[in-house]
Parts: sequence; structure tokens; C-alpha cells
Amino acid sequence: MSIKLIKKGLSDRIEDLGRYGYQHLGIQPSGPMDYLSAQLANAILDNDLNNPVFELHFPASIFEFEQTMWICISGANFVPVINEKSVALNTPILVHPQDQLRCLQPLEGRTAYIAFKGKLDSSKAWLNSYCSFQTTLNKEDHFTITSDPVVAISFNPFKDHLIQQVQTSLFNEHEIRFIPGPAWNDVDPASIRQLMQADFSIDAKSNRMGFLLEGPSIHLSEPKQYLSSAVTRGTMQLLPNGKIIVLMADHQTIGGYANLGQIILVDLPRLAQLNNHSHFKLSITNVQTAHQLYRAKQSWFKH
Amino acid sequence: MVSLGMQNQRPLFQIQLLGDHAIVFKITTGGRDGIDQQLLAFNAFIENETIKGVKDMILAYDTLTLVYDILIFDANPYLFASQLLEKYIAVSASMQPSKATIRLIEIPVCYDPCLGIDLQDAAKASNCSIEALIQLHSEKVYTVYCLGFLPGFAYMGDVPKAIQLPRHPSPRAKVLAGSVGIAGKQTGIYPMTSPGGWQIIGRTPLKIFEPHSATLTLFKAGDQVKFNPIHLELFHQLNAHEDVD
Repeated sequence: MSIKLIKKGLSDRIEDLGRYGYQHLGIQPSGPMDYLSAQLANAILDNDLNNPVFELHFPASIFEFEQTMWICISGANFVPVINEKSVALNTPILVHPQDQLRCLQPLEGRTAYIAFKGKLDSSKAWLNSYCSFQTTLNKEDHFTITSDPVVAISFNPFKDHLIQQVQTSLFNEHEIRFIPGPAWNDVDPASIRQLMQADFSIDAKSNRMGFLLEGPSIHLSEPKQYLSSAVTRGTMQLLPNGKIIVLMADHQTIGGYANLGQIILVDLPRLAQLNNHSHFKLSITNVQTAHQLYRAKQSWFKH
Repeated sequence: MVSLGMQNQRPLFQIQLLGDHAIVFKITTGGRDGIDQQLLAFNAFIENETIKGVKDMILAYDTLTLVYDILIFDANPYLFASQLLEKYIAVSASMQPSKATIRLIEIPVCYDPCLGIDLQDAAKASNCSIEALIQLHSEKVYTVYCLGFLPGFAYMGDVPKAIQLPRHPSPRAKVLAGSVGIAGKQTGIYPMTSPGGWQIIGRTPLKIFEPHSATLTLFKAGDQVKFNPIHLELFHQLNAHEDVD
């Protein structure tokens, strides 16, 4: 036994970077909402970037550690404290038996991640009988670390630079870019103008399945039915009420709503960290740019 | 949008990009609604090509979508997709029209009103007897158009016109695993107990989704499915679901 959950949060869970290869069976890949922060927390601990992490939403769970280990908290700033003393984000923290970790308030961002030195045993997260690979964290749950969690961790300038790049990209940039999709040409031209100019925000009803955008009502030039086809992370579906829903980590695998476009992968962590009251604009990009940006950001983790 | 293929009974595909990490092949020839044999053949062709970086292949109605990993998939997606199609068209032109193997899956269904909780209302709405509804629903061979909504949930069609029924205006909080429902032209089986809005006319004792089996789900897109009516007694003997409340 090494980590125990003593109070259940709103919707905390274990996530690795997602399990692909099952979408044709209707099983979504899941994975962290903000994969960049999950990767960062692992990188700081010299872990494999795909190691399972805890994903926290506010109000977050309270954890008690049962052995000495290194952890790292990244992503949203929920003002984490250990035994009521505040601890830094994006830094290796050595915790000891009976230390308690709790989060005080949602200061910035939407989802926080805890990585653990060594590998967190996520075998319980293997395709649970209900729906997907994700496992909700519950009270009294125990989690074990399968390798030595107290080996030395490197501190080097590369990591400082990496942290700065990731933080800037998540919290200091506001661009959300998309590539127009199959139904883009079916949208009424006036609606397109509104969509390109409007300030959008995220509706409070949003969750891990999708972010409902608060903004102008968008309409098709004429009513049209679409046969269902595959949708993925970032797909912008137009709902019959004129609102746009952006599909997130726990999206369904197929959808029959008008597919307006696709938020590019590189901008999804930023979208995932936006608070309900923050405003953003949508802009159009293309697949070559999206690929370049994604590859560039992922290369930050190589040194 | 790129269209490739010849008009003379060769399949005609459109290529669409689903953002920066998926490619959609949409077949524009063949049946309007159903899953096309040519699309299944193309799917089988791609399964045999080992394509670096492809993480998922999703068939649904008239589309086949490839989801790729940007870091591994090192090609211009449009160019890649058109070359793949050209190769397929060349290969399929020089061969007998390759038919993907079609499975026929028979599913025992108990159409007892105690399991098919909407059966009586459904028969009334269709202006027919319960027996007639059961016969209409079970004599037809359905095609699985796609899987989605829940793991293993197969959208099958088309339901005979006489018994096409709308979804409930607001979904039920709990539909039991194995429940067989109708929604418009489509019929399907709930793989797990979940909220749901389909008209429930029966229940199968079979498990549709087995998280610990190798195949995970009973159906895949393109399968043919036939429902065989069984009595309540046999249902209880065969029932593999845990939640028989």
C-alpha cells in the first residue's frame, strides 16, 4: 500500500495517455484532458511520459501517503498543501508516511495532475466493466507504486526551460485553432462570420465528454441530416440548438451531428485548462501547420 | 475534397480530413444507407497493409476513418490517402471483386413483456398485435452499420417500416444490459445497464460486451444479425447478465 484516498473529490481519476485500437468497437481511448501537463509531471520525475497519473478536478480528493515517495503536481493551480503547508507546482516533492495532500482553491486552470516516481499501478483502470479505461478514484481506494519511488531525481536547466514553455503555452496564450470539417460548407455564411468574430466561453455543463461553447447561435444554410461517422478528440459538433460542443477526452466514438471542424491537438490542453469565465476566439488553420506545431511541442520533452 | 475511382461500378471515394489526426474515406457509390460491401473490402485491404502510425480504423455507414499518431505518421495525409486509394483500386481491378467475409450472428431474444417493457405500447403504436411485432422484428436479417454510444453497442438496420418507433421523449434512467430496442429505422442491444431512450421490446440472455474476453464485443460493423425468439424459461436458463433485478 502506498497512497490512500481518504476523501473522494468531484471526479478524480487515473489516466495514462489513452488506449487506442478499440474505437471501432465503440470504446473511446480516454486519457488526460490536458495531456501536456500529465507529460510534464512525468518528465519532471524522469518517468516515462505515458505513466499513469491522477487527474484532479476541483474540489479534489484528499490523499494520504503511506510510504516515502517522490510526487509532482502539474497543470491547474488548486493551491495544493501537504499537512496544511503549501507546496510548489512542477517540482519534485518528497512525501512521507502519513502526509496528507489536499487542494484549497481553484486559482488557475481546470485540471491538475499528480505523477508518482516509479509506476503507479493502473491495472484497475483496464477497461472496467462499465464504459472505458478510466477509473474513478473512490474513498478508501489504495494505489501502489510498482517500482522504487525514492530513487534520485535529476534537477537540470532543461527541465526549467521545459516547465516554462509548457506553462506559457497553457496559461499565457489564448489562441484556439481549428481545421474546417466536412459540414463547414453547409454553414450559413452569416453564422460563419459570427463564429470567426465571436468571443466564446465554456458552459458550466461541460465535462470530460465535451465542452459546450457559450457563444453565438450557429445555423446551417438549410436543415441537413448526416449519417453517423467517426468523431475524435477536438471534433466541433453543431447541436440542433445552434450551440457547438467540442468533444474532449471521453468523447463517443461516432456522431451524427454536423461536423464543423476539429480543434487541433496542440491547442486542446489549453482549451482543457480554460475556466468557465475565460473568453477565447476561434481561428482557422491547416493540417500542415497543426502537424508542425504538435511535433515542435512534443520535441520539448526530448533532450 | 478528392474523388478517385472510375464510374463503371468501381467504388468512388471522397477523402476528407478530420482535423490533424484522422482521415475519412467516404464511399459515394453503392447503397444510400447501408454499409457498403466495397467499403468493407477496402477496410479489409487496409487491415492487411501495415500502416505506420494508424491507431484506429472506424467503420460507420458510408465512411471508414483512420485515426493516426502525428508523431509516427510521417506523410501528407491527403497524398497518403489518395495513394492508398489508387493502390486499392489497382489491386481490386486486377482481382475478382474481393468480398469481405460476412458473419451472420444469431441472437436469442426473449420478447416477453416482463423484459420487453415497451412491447405492449409499441404494438399499440404500430397498430398490430404483439405477435405480429415480434415476427416483423425477428424475421429480418439486419446489418450492423456501426458501433458506438456505449462499448459494443451496435446500430443495426433497417427495422421494417411498420414497427419503426420514435425514441422516448426523455430517456429512461436505467435500461438493463441485454435489452433490445428500436429507435426509428434502427434496432440495437444495450451492452450494459445504462440510461437509454430506445423502445425496449425484448432482452437477450447473451453478454454483448465482455471486458475480459479477447474480442471484447459480440458485434463489429458489417456483421449480419438475426434475432431468434425464445421463451422466458429459456431466457432464465441462459441469462449471463449479473443484474437480473
